[in-house]
Formats: sequence, structure tokens, C-alpha cells
Amino acid sequence: MQSWRRRKSLWLALSASWLLLVLLGGFSLLRLALPPRPRPGAPQGWPRWLDAELLQSFSQAGELPEDAASPQAPHGGSCNWGACFDTSKCRGDGLKVFVYPASGPISETHHRILASIEGSRFHTFSPAGACLLLLLSLDAQTGECSSMPLQWNRGRNHLVLRLHPAPCPKTFQLGQAMVAEASPTVDSFRPGFDVALPFLPEAHPLRGGAPGQLQQHSPQPGIALLALEEERGGWRTADTGSSACPWDARCEQDPGPGQTQRGETLPNATFCLISGHRPEAASRFLQALQAGCIPVLLSPRWELPFSEVIDWTKAAIVADERLPLQVLAALQEMSPARVLALRQQTQFLWDAYFSSVEKVIHTTLEVIQDRIFGTSAHPSLLWNSPPGALLALSTFSTSPQDFPFYHLQQGSRPEGRFSALIWVGPPGQPPLKLIQAVAGSQHCAQILVLWSNERPLPSSWPETAMPLTVIDGHRKVSDRFFPYSTIRTDAILSLDARSSLSTSEVDFAFVVWQSFPERMVGFLTSSHFWDEAHGGWGYTAERTNEFSMVLTTAAFYHRYYHTLFTHSLPKALRTLADEAPTCVDVLMNFLVAAVTKLPPIKVPYGKQRQEAAPLASGGPGPRPKPQAPAPNCVNQIAAAFGHMPLLSSRLRLDPVLFKDPVSVQRKKYRSLEKP
Amino acid sequence: MLSVFEESAGYRSVLSLERLPDPQRTHVMWATSKDFGMSGLRFGTLYTENQDVATAVASLCRYHGLSGLVQYQMAQLLRDRDWINQVYLPENHARLKAAHTYVSEELRALGIPFLSRGAGFFIWVDLRKECEKEAVCVIMCASVKYNIRGPALIPRMKTKHRIYYITLFSIVLLGLIATGMFQFWPHSIESSNDWNVEKRSVRDVPVVRLPADSPIPERGDLSCRMHTCFDVYRCGFNPKNKIKVYIYALKKYVDDFGVPVSNTISREYNELLTAISDSDYYTDDINRACLFVPSIDVLNQNTLRIKETAQALAQLSRWDRGTNHLLFNMLPGGPPDYNTALDVPRDRALLAGGGFSTWTYRQGYDVSIPVYSPLSAEVDLPEKGPGPRRYFLISSQVGLHPEYREDLEALQVKHGESVLVLDKCTNLSEGGLSIRKRCHKHQVFDYPQVLQEATFCVVLRGARLGQAILSDVLQAGCVPVVIADSYILPFSEVLDWKRASVVVPEEKMSDVYSILQSIPQRQIEEMQRQARWFWEAYFQSIKAIALATLQIINDRIYPYAAISYEEWNDPPAVKWGSVSNPLFLPLIPPQSQGFTAIVLTYDRVESLFRVITEVSKVPSLSKLLVVWNNQNKNPPEDSLWPKIRVPLKVVRTAENKLSNRFFPYDEIETEAVLAIDDDIIMLTSDELQFGYEVWREFPDRLVGYPGRLHLWDHEMNKWKYESEWTNEVSMVLTGAAFYHKYFNYLYTYKMPGDIKNWVDAHMNCEDIAMNFLVANVTGKAVIKVTPRKKFKCPECTAIDGLSLDQTHMVERSECINKFASVFGTMPLKVVEHRADPVLYKDDFPEKLKSFPNIGSL
Repeated sequence: MQSWRRRKSLWLALSASWLLLVLLGGFSLLRLALPPRPRPGAPQGWPRWLDAELLQSFSQAGELPEDAASPQAPHGGSCNWGACFDTSKCRGDGLKVFVYPASGPISETHHRILASIEGSRFHTFSPAGACLLLLLSLDAQTGECSSMPLQWNRGRNHLVLRLHPAPCPKTFQLGQAMVAEASPTVDSFRPGFDVALPFLPEAHPLRGGAPGQLQQHSPQPGIALLALEEERGGWRTADTGSSACPWDARCEQDPGPGQTQRGETLPNATFCLISGHRPEAASRFLQALQAGCIPVLLSPRWELPFSEVIDWTKAAIVADERLPLQVLAALQEMSPARVLALRQQTQFLWDAYFSSVEKVIHTTLEVIQDRIFGTSAHPSLLWNSPPGALLALSTFSTSPQDFPFYHLQQGSRPEGRFSALIWVGPPGQPPLKLIQAVAGSQHCAQILVLWSNERPLPSSWPETAMPLTVIDGHRKVSDRFFPYSTIRTDAILSLDARSSLSTSEVDFAFVVWQSFPERMVGFLTSSHFWDEAHGGWGYTAERTNEFSMVLTTAAFYHRYYHTLFTHSLPKALRTLADEAPTCVDVLMNFLVAAVTKLPPIKVPYGKQRQEAAPLASGGPGPRPKPQAPAPNCVNQIAAAFGHMPLLSSRLRLDPVLFKDPVSVQRKKYRSLEKP
Repeated sequence: MLSVFEESAGYRSVLSLERLPDPQRTHVMWATSKDFGMSGLRFGTLYTENQDVATAVASLCRYHGLSGLVQYQMAQLLRDRDWINQVYLPENHARLKAAHTYVSEELRALGIPFLSRGAGFFIWVDLRKECEKEAVCVIMCASVKYNIRGPALIPRMKTKHRIYYITLFSIVLLGLIATGMFQFWPHSIESSNDWNVEKRSVRDVPVVRLPADSPIPERGDLSCRMHTCFDVYRCGFNPKNKIKVYIYALKKYVDDFGVPVSNTISREYNELLTAISDSDYYTDDINRACLFVPSIDVLNQNTLRIKETAQALAQLSRWDRGTNHLLFNMLPGGPPDYNTALDVPRDRALLAGGGFSTWTYRQGYDVSIPVYSPLSAEVDLPEKGPGPRRYFLISSQVGLHPEYREDLEALQVKHGESVLVLDKCTNLSEGGLSIRKRCHKHQVFDYPQVLQEATFCVVLRGARLGQAILSDVLQAGCVPVVIADSYILPFSEVLDWKRASVVVPEEKMSDVYSILQSIPQRQIEEMQRQARWFWEAYFQSIKAIALATLQIINDRIYPYAAISYEEWNDPPAVKWGSVSNPLFLPLIPPQSQGFTAIVLTYDRVESLFRVITEVSKVPSLSKLLVVWNNQNKNPPEDSLWPKIRVPLKVVRTAENKLSNRFFPYDEIETEAVLAIDDDIIMLTSDELQFGYEVWREFPDRLVGYPGRLHLWDHEMNKWKYESEWTNEVSMVLTGAAFYHKYFNYLYTYKMPGDIKNWVDAHMNCEDIAMNFLVANVTGKAVIKVTPRKKFKCPECTAIDGLSLDQTHMVERSECINKFASVFGTMPLKVVEHRADPVLYKDDFPEKLKSFPNIGSL
């Protein structure tokens, strides 16, 4: 009985198992039979074809059209660089610009702009020798538009410059002329041919220009995230937390705590929203740039200024106005590193290309010159990082490593050698002791003597292991900063024949220069100051607690500054330096400070304690200390620059163990401390 | 490690190997059942690089889930490192060892051979001899079955029945197991790629008949821009800032008479769609897609019928005038006039085209792509370093217009050997390889190898503007000389072609030699490197072309997440070598802003108060922040704090960590931060003020007082920390240092590797970490100010003796080595200068100096 029951239960279990088996197995078989439906989770990709290998290539190898097309004629109506610009006139010394003289009376601004172009290195007086003919169309307000000029030639090689977008009635067909105008619409703009200018306000300064407003790198805690441009002018700051779509009038019920700043005040916010519809908004763009407020352009219909060369993604954000929430969220979540970079770039761009009318015009010409230069144009890095393409001349080099500014970005280091350039002015004694001292430096690569006085060249020079080259100068002070091709190192030690330096001083100064290759490193200093009594700038060589210039009679600097001095300064300034030799120091310091926006560096100089009169002790020379170094020279140069670039420093760089009460044996530069 | 009880035996984790021997077939498993004797607890880990195995096992997990309680317990158990290391492991090892000794001795006594190893829970015993002698093992095995399992499962029956039942049961059991396998295995494999993607033939795709009167899209709209013709709302909802791309299923289109409209799909277009499908952009959900890619192949216009293809496009399910549709075309136009854009009417669809001219290219809407060269895949040209090559200029195109060929040959006549003009070979015996051969007179050259012999390679316009030879030229590291007026170079929206090519106007063709000669050698080498890099990154495969195209469109839609110029254009070598200083703008912050002093303190209240009083005398101090790092003790009451002229804030921290000193507190309102320890009372007010002034001139650097140096120890082959009295500095102590507050953000959120936790765990070297961080990110050296060499007050030296000093130095050296390995480089920069006031130690009346009291050593 028991066995039967057991058997029954066993049978039961067995049949249950069979049932289970059939059920489960049946399902599996069913699944195998039917093709599986795509499951929602895993994406169904592009099929892997079994015969993928057998597919034919899109172009049959060797399928080349036999009837190669002949050179195409340019399409009528539209122009591009290759078709409508004749570069054959521009060989040689690059861009030469002829400006049509104005017909009839011209405004003060027009006059000054003309003068500024005439003073620049691009200008030529002969329309035949020019490769670009510039037609200024500036005085929109007078209603007088230029008429067809004489050399028009269907506008070939012409640039029509319209600084203010007040439309001029088209008296003649533009033909093949390039147009540089403010905020051109995307549809009419011909990329690579026309030039997009910024929308300048009426009162934009001609020269110099206001510096950027940014006082600090990172945004101040607590300032508004967003500023919105108002149609009537001015800015309104908005807190993004308060309303979801702060720039859309439809969804805004409550203006909230936002404040309206009327007038031409600059916005104080991290981001500035600018509408892309109205070209007038383009002037807001410039305002935001100056204020260091990152422009957020909503679907701009106009071309950004100088978009051909400036990488605007580094300084502004172009967003789609149709996605307000996404843009807002993206702004809120933007990493501090990106915000920091964008803010700084706005300031750099403002200062390099936009802060004055002169800069805008020079940038325009530089853009065209780059097109002509082709391969020797500025690399993008030179346009988009300090000090900018106007101050980094591509005629010097197209490799960023050759400049003093880009070593970090390039991962390169300044060279470990320098060339000493000794200027021998009157009375013309060969600087034997100085040559010995300099040649003793382990970093010295060569010595150049610039003989610049009436006496004949001495026949014999001291025996040194250093290669010594003698250059016969033109007896002009500005010769000192001529880019001699014989200078082969990046660093130059500029010396006067009457300077006196020890080897140790030279060595240490050079090591310091390697850390600051873009600055001037000098031994003796002077400063500028604002003279309330005379209402002008003053100059002093007294020893004070701060300085803003170093004397170039003994200073290290980069070879590039010779090129910059000779090729970028207006001729008038170089003439000024030749006429008043004391000014040449000031001029060089102005130039370097304008480029670097930093003060020079001072290193210790042994002789200073000993005697009151340093370096140049006797006779008239490039830096006769007792004579007043013409304070109006500072004023003249400052006026020509349009602003005061000099900055003061309160520190001196000494060797690490300088004058420390430890054994002299420990010290590397021990002779620096000898009394 | 857990079961290695033999102390002499070394242990090495498989995972510590540099690379696994066969990563696809090496799987590392570990479970608690052995090491912790918790065999019932189904908890273990599997490390494998084989994606299939991982997904298969992952799908099994569903049936073997662990309860939350068990997970929690396990987490607690594993987290308790002290218990594991100090209690459990020693005890476990001791017991294992004892058991092992006992068993092995017994076995030895019995004379049974076995393997003695210092690890594991099992002993490998060789019983073969015993089994032969007697039926010991059989008995052993049998006894297990009969005595334990047997009675419970199988009722005592007659042997015949028993066998019958056993057979029946086994069949059922087998069936169940098989079913189970079916249930589980296909699941896991299904989700892996191979199973998922159907393998079918291209010939089997569905056929779609296009009626002759079906609608045709309008011609392309030349005024289209992203904000007018592109529907950005489809791309709106994406937190990852990545567009979603949908690919239409492949169909075969025929007209009313059954004649196919085009070849169904070419090999390249199939590769292109596969690449998109494998990328992050892909979605199979048509409703979530932002961009649609038709599977209608229009790469080559010559292989399709224009009107019918347009009709096929128009009937796509989401066509909607072509909005958000992307077409890829490499060979546009057809004889005789060869248009520069695809002739198929496509309305608003975006066109990724090879061979655009300025007249047809819609800037900011279309994408200019390269013409893919099949030779890229066929021929392996190893990279050839830059430098002068045998020929200066080479022209290797065939089928050039006679006018151009005359110009080129004139160049060859003029410049002789350095110019080589090649043409088709006419007299080759075997015709098949003629595309890989070029001839000059009777000389035969291998193509494209010959391109590697030239510095510059001419890329002239043919019938079309876009030429596949451009890709070959770049691959050979030859600088392309593009002579094709109005040609939009590939990816010109993002690639800077000035760095890799020379563009010469067609009318200047006769001057080409002198133009090229004027380029300095250094620039040529740079261009050669850049050309090769462009090929590697954007030309070498259809996949590279497809992904670059999608990235460009993605960047337009999410401009705030766009890839920068440098990322597109800088070759990897430059990217690694370059430093982009986050504070690159030369800007001297206004003095009026002042600085915030942050004092980290634990419980030295008296000393803290002295520091506060001293620091508050510095004129430029604008705020004082005390970071109270002691959780067990409250800071003193408000009334007890010294009264100072600037706001004083106390921040309490949640944990006693050194990194609290470098936290970017909201209370810091100035850019300048002075980090100062609560025992730094020796710095004078002049010294601190001068430090701040120096920081203003160097806002992107660490400005500190005592300097330290790292040195390479040649004997030990590692870095060494050097203390005072050297002629050089590479670090400053942050016991008192000025720096930009942005570095606080970097220290807290962007410190590489585990350095931050490591510093907190060791309670040391936070200053070295900061020095590394700042030097790494700015590429600049520190500035040491004033002669000060140490922070110890003279009377404190008695406390820490020489030995303490030495261990300190060893620890600090360890830190440098550790950080250098995490950073992967030694970012610290050594300099030989320090900053002093202009008139420091000059022979000048003291009272006229700005900073007369600059302190001592």
C-alpha cells in the first residue's frame, strides 16, 4: 500500500516535471521559430550585411573623368578672393595702401583717420604702386557720399571702408570691390572677401582707447549671472533663478529684482545676452566685450567682427534663441575654468583689436595683408592669444616659438644663449673691459659692436673666444634697435660702450630673463609719474621705491623687439628718438610695456651703491644721467600711443641667497655682493 | 592574498599585471565563499575584458540577486580593513596553516603523494595508486551517493524498476537543464552586438516602387542657415550635449518599370552608416532623433538617377522638406559641367559634400568633407619624419587638363630635377595595376609611395574640385599645394588649412615654385607633420570622416560644449607639451581689492589669536577667515576673539582634513588669498604687505616665503626634497603664501588622481601638492619673497631633534615621488631668483624705503 502511494506520488512528480518541460521547452522552440521583435532597451544598429565585403566601392578605381574641365570663369555677380583680387601688385613689401583724398570738406574725425593711415607702415602716396586702394566712406552724417573715383577699374583691388553703418545711397556699383562694413548680414557677406567690422559707436576714440573694464580674472562673487540688453539702450541685470526665460517678454510676468541701468553704462554681469536680429545690437556686443561680460549671441544674423581671423568661440557664445532653457542651463553649469578663459579673452580681444578706431582700421588692413601673404600670414595662435596680431608681426616669423610670447602654449623654452650688442657712440673708445666681462659669461654666444661715431673703426679688437662682429652704423640712435640679421640668438644684451658690468651680473640677469622672455630685464631704472603741477607726465631717474622703465644701455630683451621697434612704430616716433637721443630708452620701454602690459624687471647692480652716477659717467651720451631727460619726451610718446602703457613695479629680483648671512661659499653669484 | 598562508610565498594580484596575457580569455574571479568561509553567501566578483562574458554573466545576476541586508553586511565586512588586516587574516592564515600541516602530515604518513603549496583551501592528492590497489575510491564515492543522497531521492525498489526510474528522472532532469540553458543563455548573448544585428544580404532588402508622379523635393535652398532651416527643437532634450542620429532602414527603390534607381548601397556608404550606428550619436528611436540619415546612397552622383533619387528621398517617413536630414556626397556633379554640389533636389537637407565651391557652399550649414581615397586602406604608408625630400614638388595626377599639364611641364623644364611631373603609364603590360603606377617618360613609379619622396604635392582641380588625391598626399606627409580656385577645403569650418597646406590661385600657377621656395624650412616641416596628422585624424577612414562631420554639426547645435580650435588642430605631441595657463591675461589686480587671509587652526587658540592680531596690521588685508578644524571642541566665544579692523569669519569643518585649508569658501571675496598657519607669528607686517604687492605683479603664481627645492637623486634614481640654503627654489611653503583663489577651486575639484585623499590620509604634503598643481596648470615657477628661510622660531628648534627632521625629509621626498608619478611628469620649475623690495639692503636711508622691516631669516 505504502509502496503504491509512494509510486503514485512519484508518478505525479514525474508527470508534473514533464509538463514543466513541455511548457518551457515549447516556449523556447516558439521563440526560435519566430524572428525576435526588437526589444526596446538595446538599440538596433545598422545591420551587418553578410555580403558587405562584396559591395562595390562608390567610385570605381581609376574612374577619372577623361574630359577634365577647363579653368572655370568666375561666376558673374559674386566675387571671391581668387577671382576678384589681383595680388600681383602686392609682391615685395606686402600691402601698400593708397587712400583716396576726400572730395570737398571733411570732418575732423575723417581727417584724423586719414592721418592715422598715412602714418602707418601700409601707406603709400602713389595709386599706381599701391596694391590696395582704400575708399573711405565715413561721414555718413554729412550725407555726402564719395563719388566714383578715378582709378576705379570696376572696383578691382578696392576696399570700401564703412565704419558706421548708416546706409549710403549707392551712387555707383561696387563691382569687384571688397566691402568692410559694420555687422554685415550673413546673407550679403562674402566670406574670405569682405571684411566684417565691429559696430563702432559715434564717440569711439580714435587712438589708444579705454582699457578693458575687467578688474579681476574671476567673476566677483554675488554679481548677476546675466545682463540683458534693452531695446532703448542700457542693460538690465537678471537673476536666472527668478524667471525661467528671462529674455522672452511673453513669459515674463514680473520684472523682479532686476535693475535697469540706463544710458551707456557697461553691464556688470558674467554673461550678456545679445539679440541676433537687429544689427544695432552689434554695438552692445562691443560694450559687453569691453566690460568683460561674456557675450551670448542668440542666433546672430550678422557676421561677427573679423570672424575670418578671430576665433570667437574663445570669447563669446553663439547660441540658438529657440532653446532658451538649454542655453540658460548651459550658462549656469558652465565650468569656472571656461568662464575664466572666456572673460579673459574678451578683454584681450577688446584691447588688441577694438578699443580704438585706429586699431580697427589696422586690423582690417592686417586681415587683407594676411590674405596676400598666404603661407606667411599670421598663424591662428598669433591672432587669438596675447598680445595679438597687430603686435606680433608675421614678417618676423611665422613660427610661434620664435616669439617671446608663446613658449608656454608651444611647450618650448627660450634659448640658453644671448648676443651682446654694444653701441659705441661718441667719443668712440673701444669698450675693451666690457667685452672682457661679457665674453666671460657662459651664456654668451656672440658679441656685436655697433660702431656709431665719427672716428674710424679701430683695426684691432681684444682677443676673445667669442665671435666678435663689428657693424658700421648710420650714427643714428634708432640704429641701436635695428633688427640686424647678424643677431642669431633670441636674447639680446643691449649695452652702451660706457656701461660697466661684471660677468656675474650678466649671468644672473640672463638666467632671470629666461624666466621672463617677453619682458625687459635691466639693471638701472627710472620711473614716470603724473606731475600735477604741470598737468603732464614727469620722468625721474632718482632711486625710488618703484620703477617703470629700465635703461636700455644695459638690459636683456628679446630680439623680436628690434623688429617691432623698426617696423611697427610710426616714423614720427623714431624720428623723435633720433632727434632727442634720451628718448630712445623711454620709447623702447613704452613699446615693450604696450605689448606685454607688464612692468619691466630689475636685477641687482653692484656699482649703484658705490657711486651716485651709474653707467654713463661722463660726456654726452644716450643716457647722460645728470641732464634732464626731457620730460616732454614722455608726454610726446604717450600722446602718440594714445595712452600710458607704462606700469610700475615695486620689486627687484635677487639671487636666492642674496646678502644672506651665510658663508659666501654657498652662494652661486657671490661677486654680486662685493662692495 | 587572503588564502596565502605561507609567509615565504609572495603574492601578486592578477590585476596588478601591466596587461593580461590574453585579455579576451583571462577572467579573474573572486568570491567570499572561500576566503571568508561563507559558501552559502553567493557574493563574488568577476573581472573580465570580454564584453560577451560580462553581459552573459550580468544577465544571470537577475536570478541570483543579493538581499539588501546581505549587501550591507558585505559592505561593512569588506570596509573594515583594520579587522581584516589585523584580526581576520592572521587568524585565518594560522588556522589554514595548521590544517594544512595536519593533513599533509597524515598524507605523508600514509604515503600518499600530494602537492604541497603554501596557499589555498584544497590539497591536490594523487589517489591513482591507491585506487589501483583497492577499490578505495569507488567505495568512497559510492558511499557518498548511496548513504546520503540515495535513500532520500530514490525509493528502495527492485533493481529493474530502479534503473527504469533513474533513467526517466535523468531524462527529465536533462530536459529541464537544457530548457534552463535555453532560457538563460540566449538572453545574454542576444544583448551582445553580434547576435543583435541581423545578418542578412543586401539583396534581400525590401523593394519600394516609386510611382512616376511621386513628389520631388525642391532644389536646395541657398539661403539656408542653422537658425532658419534646421529644426533645433528635435535636439533640445539632451543632457549630454550630444545629438541623436537616426538611420533609415535600407530599401531598394525601383521605378514603375522595376528598374532600380541606383545601386542599393556602396561599400563606403555601408561603412559610413555602420560607423554612425556604432557611435554614441546613434539612436534607433525615430522620435528621439535630431538628425536623420537616409540609407539612400548618394556618395557618387554618377551612379544614380537624379529625379528618381529625389523622389525616393521625398517619401522618407520624416522627410518634411528635408529638415534635419543629412546627405553624404563625395563625388557631385556630372558631365559636362560638373556642378560642385549634388544635383539631386533636396530642399532643406544638409549636405556633407566633397568638392564644394564658394558658390554652392552654405557657410555654417553644409559641411565640406574629403573625398575618401580607397588607397588609404589598401596601402600602408608608414609615417615618414619631416625634413627635406628627394623632390621639391611633384604632380602625380592623371587626366589633367592639357593647359595645366603644359604649365607643370614648363616648371619641370625650368627647375629640373627637383620638380617631377607624372602621368598615366601607357606602355604597361599588365593593365590591372595601372592605378598604382605613374610614369615620367619611361621611368615607372609606384603610387602613392612616390608621394613620400616629395616635399610638396600638387593637388589641381580636375573636372571636380574635390580630389581623392588630397587624402593620398596627406597620408604621405607631403604638403598639398592646392590649386583650385574657390574650393572649400574639407572640414574648413574647424580645420586650419593654413597650417597644413599651401593654397595657390590658378593664375599664379607659373609662380608656384618661387612661392614655395619662400617658405622657411621650419614651417615646411611643421606643415608636413600637420598634414600627416590631419590624415590620421580626419581622412584615413570613412569612420573618421563620418564622425568628424557629426561632431561639426553637434558643435553647432551645442556651441557651449563645442570642441576648441586646439583640440581640432593641434597634433597630439603639441597637445601634450603645451600648457594653457588659466590666468593668461596680463592683468595687475587693483591694490584696493586687498586679500583674504585664511588661518587653518585646530586648537592652538593662543597662538591663533597672536597670528590674527599680527596679520590684521597688514594694510591690504580685507578679510580674515579662520578655518576651525577641530570637531570635538567649539571655537572660543565671540567676545574672546581679538578685535580687528576687518571682518573676521569662523568656518567650522565637518572633518579634520588638511585639504580644508584649500577649500574655495564662498566667504572669499577677493582674488588674492593668503594661506597662513596658526603658528606663523614671525612674519612682519611689511613682509606680508610686500608679499601681497609681489602677488599683484604675478597673480598666476604661488608667492611664498621660505623656498624649497626638489632634486634628482642619481643614486636612488628618484626625487629628493631639499630644505633651506640652496641657490635655487622650486616650491614655497604654504604655511604663509599668497595665491589666486581659483587655485582653491582647482585643488578641491580638479586635483589629479588620488592626491587629495592621500594628503588627507597622511596629514602631510598639502603644500607640495599645491605647488605641483599650480606649476602644472600654469607652467610657471613660484616666486619666493624676502630672505626668509624657515618658519621655526629660534626657541622652537629644541623640540624637534635631528632625527625628527630626517624622517620629515624622507616623508616629503616620498610625497614628491608620489605626486610626480600621479602627474606623470615633474611640473615644478626651478629658478634662481627671489623677489625683494627695490631698495632692499641698498645704501639708502631706511626711513625712505617702502618696506624697511622686511624681516630676517
